[in-house]
Amino acid sequence: MTDSLLAFFTVIDNQGGVIVKDAPKFDLDLYIQSYRGRTRFDRLFLIGRSSVPLCVDALKAAVAEAKRGRDPQRYREAFECLRIAAPSEPEAATFDKAWLDNIETANQNETRRLLAELKGYKNNLIKESIRMGNEDLGKHYESIGDLNAAAEAYTRMRPDVSTPKQIIDVGRHLVSVALQRREWGMITSHLSKMPSGTNSDEYEHMQPYIRIVMGLSMLGQERFPEAAASFLAVDVNASPTSYNEVASPNDVAVYGGLLALATMDRADLQRKVLDAPDFRQFLEHAPHIRRAVAQFVNGRYSACISTLEAYRADYLLDIYLQKHIPKLYAEIRSKCIVQYMIPFSCVSLDTLEAAFSNPAQSIEDELFTMIQSGTLQARINAIDKASTNTSSCERFACLVTTVSANPRVKLQSTALATAQSYEKQAIDRLRRMSLAAADLELKGQRKTSTAFSGLGGVGDIIYDEATMV
Amino acid sequence: MDHCASVLLAFPPSSPLANNEQYHKAALAHVLKVEKMIKDNGASFVGYASQLLEHVNPANNSISYIALLQTILTNDNSTPSRGELPTAITTFLMVFDPRQIRYVGGAFSALLGVVQEGSLIPASIAIGLVATALLKLDHAGTMLTSHHIPLVTQAYETDNIEPILPVIEKTIVFYPGMKGPSETRYPCDMQLPPPAYLTLESSLTTRLSVANVLQYDLLCGMCFIQRRAWQQAFDALERVVSYPTREGGCSKIMENAHNKWVLVGLLLNGKTPTLPAITGQGAQKAYATHGKPYTSIGKAFEQGTAETLKSEFESVGAQRWADDGNLALMRLVLTHYQRWQIMNLRNVYTKISLEQIRTRTQSAEATGPLKTTAELEALVESMISEGMLNGVIERPADGKPAYLTFLSPTEELSEDEFKVKMFSTAQRIKDLGPIVKATNERLATSKDYLRHLVKEQKKEKHGQTDPYTRFEQTVDDEDLMMDVVPGN
Repeated sequence: MTDSLLAFFTVIDNQGGVIVKDAPKFDLDLYIQSYRGRTRFDRLFLIGRSSVPLCVDALKAAVAEAKRGRDPQRYREAFECLRIAAPSEPEAATFDKAWLDNIETANQNETRRLLAELKGYKNNLIKESIRMGNEDLGKHYESIGDLNAAAEAYTRMRPDVSTPKQIIDVGRHLVSVALQRREWGMITSHLSKMPSGTNSDEYEHMQPYIRIVMGLSMLGQERFPEAAASFLAVDVNASPTSYNEVASPNDVAVYGGLLALATMDRADLQRKVLDAPDFRQFLEHAPHIRRAVAQFVNGRYSACISTLEAYRADYLLDIYLQKHIPKLYAEIRSKCIVQYMIPFSCVSLDTLEAAFSNPAQSIEDELFTMIQSGTLQARINAIDKASTNTSSCERFACLVTTVSANPRVKLQSTALATAQSYEKQAIDRLRRMSLAAADLELKGQRKTSTAFSGLGGVGDIIYDEATMV
Repeated sequence: MDHCASVLLAFPPSSPLANNEQYHKAALAHVLKVEKMIKDNGASFVGYASQLLEHVNPANNSISYIALLQTILTNDNSTPSRGELPTAITTFLMVFDPRQIRYVGGAFSALLGVVQEGSLIPASIAIGLVATALLKLDHAGTMLTSHHIPLVTQAYETDNIEPILPVIEKTIVFYPGMKGPSETRYPCDMQLPPPAYLTLESSLTTRLSVANVLQYDLLCGMCFIQRRAWQQAFDALERVVSYPTREGGCSKIMENAHNKWVLVGLLLNGKTPTLPAITGQGAQKAYATHGKPYTSIGKAFEQGTAETLKSEFESVGAQRWADDGNLALMRLVLTHYQRWQIMNLRNVYTKISLEQIRTRTQSAEATGPLKTTAELEALVESMISEGMLNGVIERPADGKPAYLTFLSPTEELSEDEFKVKMFSTAQRIKDLGPIVKATNERLATSKDYLRHLVKEQKKEKHGQTDPYTRFEQTVDDEDLMMDVVPGN
């Protein structure tokens, strides 16, 4: 790593960014070809800021991408990063001030022109023109990176819509802006305003897009099961161009597969992922995900984990997955461990260590957290040797499946607890009735504080609603 | 004097009175007679009152005895007989007849006041005496009287908690001054529930304020804390925390209790207690604002590292804890932090080496793991000997390091043990029967309810039924949507 790269990543690290040292398995040019629109820059810029091996290439591509668009801020950011990371590159040598000035003036003029036009439409009171004027303005704002203004302009379209297609268009614009601003909750609410009842071709055509965006919104809110269901329902026959401003078919396979792996049990994985006619075709874009799912279903958990680990770098460079990968991987891993233990009543720690070796954390610590959080029903025996025929100091993790082990205990404790709580409640109610009858309820008004004057030393203050606020 | 003695000994008559009515009349007449006699004889009676004490049996002639005691107490202080007075009072309070005392409530309350005031009898004895007397008056101890509060205050302040345990361990469900019908039965009826004879009119108690009731439970809680009876302390404090409130009220006492309640909950269960659902809205808000340091301590207690707990403790400062009167409790919470961490290990391990426990758990006092295994061993041993932890430390013969075995709690009860436990709970619930009956009687005969009932009957007579109040009767098992409201 050169000094400049090192300096660059030190800055990123200080900002709390994710740094990926391993080289991903994809080719940057091919990867970025699957997308269109503003997501291209976002993805390139993220890779540039995260991946050590791809940093310079990605940032160079990001600078070029920014110059193709009309968003001056993007150019500034990408250029600044490239200047720190690779000052020797020709693209980093000169800051294209002329282009920047040019584009800023052009943007301002365009804004003025569109605003003037819109004003004219409003004076004429033609709904359709006003709607289109707002749409043009919104698109313009979006392209120059003023997402706030874009969202406002798109929202102003709503009163003037007249056909279902137009409603869908408004929704799509708003969703796109919300997605770029990472407002996951807003996406859901915008999607819900789309007319779901209409069975127009237009709406059918939109289905994959809606499903994917809904999945991303759920993923952003860490509602993994819903997100998985949404991705698994994407229609494979739709052309990728209808949604490639958001994600590629490969992404759909990866998002859906990983989320399903993290949230579903083996039977569901087989039925809803491997055997699903639509999703199977998506999986062809990401064969390693299919492999991982198949390995999990077949009980080859360590193989499943290593398959996924091999692609960790790739997924960490995805704009939507990056934040969730540690959590998703941890969930898949603990699911694997739980599934692995099911057939055994007693597993040695060394066997587990061999099956799920993890250099970062000892298996005992991992089991410790899993048992404490209730994911795994087991007890660790850190002392006893193996049974007589195996030699010396093998440690055992004895599996105690308490749930199925003793329903009697559960019944008894529930019965006793119920009886006791009944008794407690009965007494409490009697007490409260008596207090009410003796007019001893504590009242919120200040005037009742006179009732307290007889008591010395305790210093009673009654707080009523007004003083509490 | 002889005449006086014969008056004093006249009640109760040697042949038992036939029924409550006769007893009631005789007792009332006797009270009047004694009063008149004392008035008539004036100063001369005071002179030989102390001699008369020797002739009157405190257990049998309680009304007369207390009249004598009162005469001596309210008159000349320099009487030589005053020296024997403490013995007389002590004997009387131990043996008096609770049936007779119901007729001389004022004198009895005054006597208890003198005992509690402390100049005649030292506090350590007085506390036990009052506690016994109160329980004699009300066996089940289900009613709170105005004597309870000074008793508990005194016991707590002078650290004589043991004698009052029988009183504060009782479940209180009745309070003086409850609205209800006037009692038609005679006070001497031994079947009466306590609120029927421990009335304001009988002078056996005075009216209590909200603060009195709250303070009583808070003090009970503090007494139990003193004795480290965490479960009882927790229950008592919870009564204060969830005290019925209206219009968003909350008092300082409740806030105090909440703070202690959080800490006691940590000691008892190792986690922050959750507020009962019936807690008043205003109180919940007040706890959230004013109890902040305590809830933060609770959160920190549940975390794996001691640093947060320590820093929460220090950020507030020992002074604030001391001002709240919770410093000692707080220190106990700090020492218990590691204990609860060790306790939680039993959910993960069956056997674990002491060295591992040392590295896995942290002491909140040292802010980190203990320095040596020996310290930890001492801690674990103290936990086992206190009965907190169910386990044994085992030392293998071959010189390997010692380890702790968690003994599985005897989870499964045999059918018989289970039966016994269930039965005792059922019995306790059955024992509530009389209380329920008394409450039910009171509610069923309350003016408001009767007025409502009369109104209903009138309406029924006139053939017009109120569709809403009769809702329950008409909709019993009918289709809910059908003709609930006539005419619709």
